[in-house]
Amino acid sequence: MAGIQLRSVEKRYGDTWVLRGIDVSIADGEYVVLVGPSGCGKSTLLRSIAGLNDITGGAIHIGARDVTRVSPRDRNVAMVFQSYALYPHMTVRENLAFPLKIRKDPPAAIQAAVAEVAGMLELGALLDRLPGQLSGGQRQRVAMGRAIVRRPDVFLFDEPLSNLDAALRHHMRVELKRLHRRLGATVVHVTHDQVEALTLADRILVLHQGVVQQVGPPRELFDAPANTFVATFLGSPAMNLLPGRVDDAGLSVGGVALGWVDGVGKAVRGDVTVGLRPTDVVAAAPSSAAGASPWVGAVDVTESLGAEALLHVEIGPHKLVVQVPEPSPWRAGAQVQVVPRRVHVFDPGSGRRL
Amino acid sequence: MIVRWLVILAAVLALARGASAADVVVWHAWMGAEEAGLVAAAQRFEAGGGGRVSLVAVPFGVFDAKIETAIPRGNGPDVVIAGHGGLGKWARMGLFEPVDDLVIAPQMPVAEEAMRWEGARYGVPLAYKTLVLLYDPAQVAAPPKTTDELVALARSLAGDGRYGLAYEAGAAFYHAPFMHGFGAAMWQDGALSRLDTPAHAGALGLSARLAALGPTRPSSERIGQLYREGKAAMVISGPWFVADLGRPIAAAPLPIVSETGQPARPYLTVDGAYVTRGPNTDAARAFVSFLAGEASAIVRRDVGGQAVTTLGVSADDPVRTALAAQAAVAVPMPSDPKALMAWEPLNKALRQTQRGAASPEGAAAEAQAWLELLTRPPPEPASPTPYLMLVGVLGLLAVGRVAQRLSSVELRGQIAAHRADYLWVAPAALAVLVLVVAPFLVGATVSLFAHYEGSWTFVGLRHFADIVLSRDWPITSPMSFPFTLAVTVLWTITNVFLHVTIGVALALVLREPWVRLRAVWRVLLIVPWAVPSYITALIWRTMFDAQYGAINAVLSLVLGHPVELDWFARFSTAFAANLVTNTWLGFPFMMVIALGAMQSIPRELEEAALIDGAGYFTRLRHVLWPLLRPAMLPAVVLGSVWTFNMFNVIYLVSGGEPDGATEILISEAWRWAFSRGNRYGYAAAYAVVIFGVLFVYSRFTNRLLGKRVL
Repeated sequence: MAGIQLRSVEKRYGDTWVLRGIDVSIADGEYVVLVGPSGCGKSTLLRSIAGLNDITGGAIHIGARDVTRVSPRDRNVAMVFQSYALYPHMTVRENLAFPLKIRKDPPAAIQAAVAEVAGMLELGALLDRLPGQLSGGQRQRVAMGRAIVRRPDVFLFDEPLSNLDAALRHHMRVELKRLHRRLGATVVHVTHDQVEALTLADRILVLHQGVVQQVGPPRELFDAPANTFVATFLGSPAMNLLPGRVDDAGLSVGGVALGWVDGVGKAVRGDVTVGLRPTDVVAAAPSSAAGASPWVGAVDVTESLGAEALLHVEIGPHKLVVQVPEPSPWRAGAQVQVVPRRVHVFDPGSGRRL
Repeated sequence: MIVRWLVILAAVLALARGASAADVVVWHAWMGAEEAGLVAAAQRFEAGGGGRVSLVAVPFGVFDAKIETAIPRGNGPDVVIAGHGGLGKWARMGLFEPVDDLVIAPQMPVAEEAMRWEGARYGVPLAYKTLVLLYDPAQVAAPPKTTDELVALARSLAGDGRYGLAYEAGAAFYHAPFMHGFGAAMWQDGALSRLDTPAHAGALGLSARLAALGPTRPSSERIGQLYREGKAAMVISGPWFVADLGRPIAAAPLPIVSETGQPARPYLTVDGAYVTRGPNTDAARAFVSFLAGEASAIVRRDVGGQAVTTLGVSADDPVRTALAAQAAVAVPMPSDPKALMAWEPLNKALRQTQRGAASPEGAAAEAQAWLELLTRPPPEPASPTPYLMLVGVLGLLAVGRVAQRLSSVELRGQIAAHRADYLWVAPAALAVLVLVVAPFLVGATVSLFAHYEGSWTFVGLRHFADIVLSRDWPITSPMSFPFTLAVTVLWTITNVFLHVTIGVALALVLREPWVRLRAVWRVLLIVPWAVPSYITALIWRTMFDAQYGAINAVLSLVLGHPVELDWFARFSTAFAANLVTNTWLGFPFMMVIALGAMQSIPRELEEAALIDGAGYFTRLRHVLWPLLRPAMLPAVVLGSVWTFNMFNVIYLVSGGEPDGATEILISEAWRWAFSRGNRYGYAAAYAVVIFGVLFVYSRFTNRLLGKRVL
């Protein structure tokens, strides 16, 4: 096991920057999830760590070793591909044994290692099948097994769960978490799924246009997003962003004074972008005194999610999504009083947190 | 509308028939000046009120086949103009009308004689051709009188890329003058002569000495080029060599053979005009009679440059004078088809002595043995009864089986239910039946018969026994079936191995990211495949030429000293030359298949293997190749069948040299059918054996392919 240091890593094709100035240190045994929208460079970064891409600047260290110019085969990393990349002409057993056979481990050791991994991932009954004869979830487990069997320094997962259906994905998420705890391995996991990121990661790294937006534990990113990109990317439903203003009387949005709502720094003054999570709002009847908020709007659309519902509320020119518990009394067209419990305040120009 | 078109078509056909009925249709193979002379002569005939003549030039290579198929079916010409070498066969086939009573201008006796077959005159002589000694007056002051003088003079003129004497020494036609000069013969008094006499050995020795004076196995084009460049002082050739030369040339009769004091006596061929059997005989007779006459002879001499046979029309230039002198001692080419059998043994003996593989005596003895084998009497007829009974029993069994199947109500119902489907398939089934099944059955039937000089004898499975058991040769002889089969298998394995290795290697290189201009490379590498194989084979054949070939030139450059390797003198190098040519032809197919197959193999598999710690060759062996194999195996099966039967390369590059050692089964079958006395039955048996070998092979590979499901 070993940690990973990324030092000013950059990658570009001609004038197109894919990664720039990536400086991140991943601790031994840490589970780091790289998230970001499509094309943000997260897969490129993972493939750079694996050595499948050359980088155009900076250095990558695994453990104490500078591996920037080392071939992928000598980096002692293991990778699970989105397509699983199982060797279609080999049985499950041969797939699992392949990395060890190449390393010329003694046959007895290979057999023992394969048996152990097969037991860990419940692959015992499938060992003599070809990948073509397996279901998606089974293939995913074989791919995982082929990574584990080598006892690598680092695991690299490239969207390993995205080809599974929702139920299986949830199941495998839990399995991954359990495996990580058991192996204590360093993992870098790429996904575009924020739920995966939030549930699995020790730390999340958010990438946007090849630049690191924020690195930190899931809670920290959720509670204190460093900018509007991270704020809207994490959390579902996404955070509402509204133009606002802070003066001596506190926060006001669209001319409606809301006072010193939790999350507005006392030192902040001037125009701001206000971030409001749908979960941080309470909706009440306009006449009720629940929050005694002056913020009143009309319900445009309601969406029921089962345990809760989303209200799309129009307050003047602004639209706001509010999450309320089901059964909810609100119907389209109803008047609703919106009470913000907690807000995030960002610089309207740079989008940075204030 | 359709009716109108039919009427027009009928009218056109009627016109065409009308035209052809009035004309005298003449087929000939003369080209260039000779053709012009013929045209001019025909114009004289027409101008003199002799009726219309329509001349059709038929390519030389297909001439015999054309007349042999067209005339018996009534589609032939009224007059054929051709050399007298095939007269015996054609007269026997009844293609020509005897013209004993036709009165013509007096002709050279030797030419008159050539027009006769079994006592009857079949045509009128027009022109003759024979070999003479041609020389460059700038280099040779006086032509040599004897062969010793010839050798000495040629030696003194050689050096620095120049030759004193150049001629096609490896062909028996060019050896014939010296053979006759030694008192030996191929054909005498209506029978084949022995080839193992001391006179033959002496002549072979002389030919070997003469051949050594010139370039190795030159083509006629090469000799012409050498002469034009002033690099060949003397040439043994005929009047055809003189045309369009662009360099002064002189001619003299061939020298006297020093050993015997006799003149060298080349073969003489006479081009004659023959009247075919048909309705237009009178007009045809009038025309051929005119052609042989003095007026036509003068036109043909002056316009066509021919050495004419008409007496009284004198030779008027030095070359024709020499030809006339030579003709006085020349030997008429035998026109009996049996005489053809001596050519191959004699050719072989010539080439053996010339490349030093055998002494003249040894080669002559071998030629005699070979000749005896080719000319031995046909095998005893076998009784067809057991075969007919076997066929009868098998036929009955088949009929019974079909009847049994058809009696099943279920099957009949199925057939009725799918009647439309059977109708859809019927055209294709019919095509396969006519184009594949029927020829195969005919071929298989022919293999049970022996064909000797036009007559067929039923011999049963005797050919198969002779071939497979190699009854006529020790199995170490290149003529034996096991030897040829071994060469064919070696040929197929080495070829397919190289095709696949080079094809896959190039496909691997082509997909590397550092390769620039990939599309251009891909197209360039497919080009060898797009060029017709016989053109490629001819180009490679020239490149392997001992003196002028690109291969030896490159080797000379690389090794730093002149290389004049005679590629076709040894089995190993001749085989290698064939192999190189066919590899050049074969790798693009495998490359295209491999490129296509690689496209469907996800890159991630190799990346996974790379991360798993596999090096380049481990990835190739354990990941790429197993995934490529399902696509490559059918290609390998196809490729090996093509290679197994790759006639073009063998025939055009090595031609079987040395001594038939590089022949493969298919080219051997061809030789039996077309250059060894038309042993069609024996050749058909070869073809059936080839089919058997490939059938077993394809069954075996099918099983191999079916085993691994992927």
